[in-house]
Amino acid sequence: MSRFSKTLMALFVGGATMAALAPAMAFDRYQGIGRPATASEVKAWDIDVRPDFVGLPKGRGTVDQGVELWETHCASCHGAFGESNEVFTPIVGGTTQDDIKTGRVKALVTGDAPQRSTLMKVPTVSTLFDYIQRAMPWTAPKSLKPDEVYAILAYILNLADVVPADFELSDENIREVQERMPNRNGMTTDHGMWPGAGAAKGGIGNGGKPDVKNVACMKDCKKEVQIVSALPDYAQDAHGNLAEQNRPVGQTRGKQTGTPAEQKGDAAPSAAAATLALANEKGCMACHGVSNKIVGPGYNEILAKYKGQTDAEAKLIAKVKAGGQGVWGAVPMPPQGHVKDEEIKQLVQWILEGAKAQ
Amino acid sequence: MANPMRIRAAAKDGVTEVRVLMSHVMETGQRKDSSGAVIPAHFITELTAKHNDKVVLSAQFGPSVSTNPYLAFKFNGGAKGDKVVVSWVDNKGDSRTDEVQVA
Repeated sequence: MSRFSKTLMALFVGGATMAALAPAMAFDRYQGIGRPATASEVKAWDIDVRPDFVGLPKGRGTVDQGVELWETHCASCHGAFGESNEVFTPIVGGTTQDDIKTGRVKALVTGDAPQRSTLMKVPTVSTLFDYIQRAMPWTAPKSLKPDEVYAILAYILNLADVVPADFELSDENIREVQERMPNRNGMTTDHGMWPGAGAAKGGIGNGGKPDVKNVACMKDCKKEVQIVSALPDYAQDAHGNLAEQNRPVGQTRGKQTGTPAEQKGDAAPSAAAATLALANEKGCMACHGVSNKIVGPGYNEILAKYKGQTDAEAKLIAKVKAGGQGVWGAVPMPPQGHVKDEEIKQLVQWILEGAKAQ
Repeated sequence: MANPMRIRAAAKDGVTEVRVLMSHVMETGQRKDSSGAVIPAHFITELTAKHNDKVVLSAQFGPSVSTNPYLAFKFNGGAKGDKVVVSWVDNKGDSRTDEVQVA
């Protein structure tokens, strides 16, 4: 972990504590650090224009002035008529005279317009003013004077036929323009994204009630879970072990995936591996190596000697059981009476198949 | 009658740049509506631009041109106050003529 992310972690932990203490905290928590913002600092920062036109600067601008400013500052990205969708989505288009009358853009409901333009969606003219003043032009935000913003806004509104070509927009008549915005009735606040109290209690939203109203499907619920599809084994670990990738807190635990081969090995060891374990258990491996001679011959040597003989299995079973001497030298193989017949058979078969570990 | 065109003409150094935004559905005749019926073709076929009664641009449009077409062109000559007239005719016989003064 880098030092930077450690600092972040510390901030997170500190932040959680601070949140708990927040009501009691205020300024005195950091004695001697910082100072209250001055009035002019707040003024420079507080530039928003709200839907009720709080914060709207005084000024005026005509459509004709707006044309000039538009050509200089705006047309290169937005097109001469606000129609371009090359850099941004179109500003103008998709609204009709009917929309201006009803205050609801019909194309949004029917889906007729090929694309949603700004004037189709925006319900408040103050938002346009605020955004142009705050963020435009892209290369030099906040460089436009209030009169220039009024003029540019007048031109945009004229392009959508909200205001006539000889119109002069000002802080005095902008409320009348709001009454002609094509989508002024298109905004709803009756959904859970609006913060604060619901409309009944003096707020604007619905009090944070979620949008989902899943009434229809909350009956005739199935009593048993029936799994109808699952990832095939080969795809189980496509994203590694899911269990390791989930937090150890909370509701969700990842499934143990890992590689399917390992999973199988754990669950049911292969026959060869089981026989190898058996050979270890019965002491065979003390004298015989899988691929080398220890006291007696290696299993590879035995295999080489008896390979191809049809009676090899029976012969070897008898030798293991009774013991023997002379075939591989003077050291005798003791009789293996303590090993069950079927186990001897299993071991011999395993040897003749190559004494594989897997 | 279709909505008016938006035309802007600006003269600079003896060249006039004209930009036109037409308001037209420009239906190709290839699309189908929600019930599966073909939407009949409806598009601009001819466009003429005149500068003081002299034709400076004559164009044939087709169904491949987008809805609400935007057209920009330049011609030599033209001075402030001159008249630029743009007109179009579509395949249903509708037409529209709008004029603007060169700025």
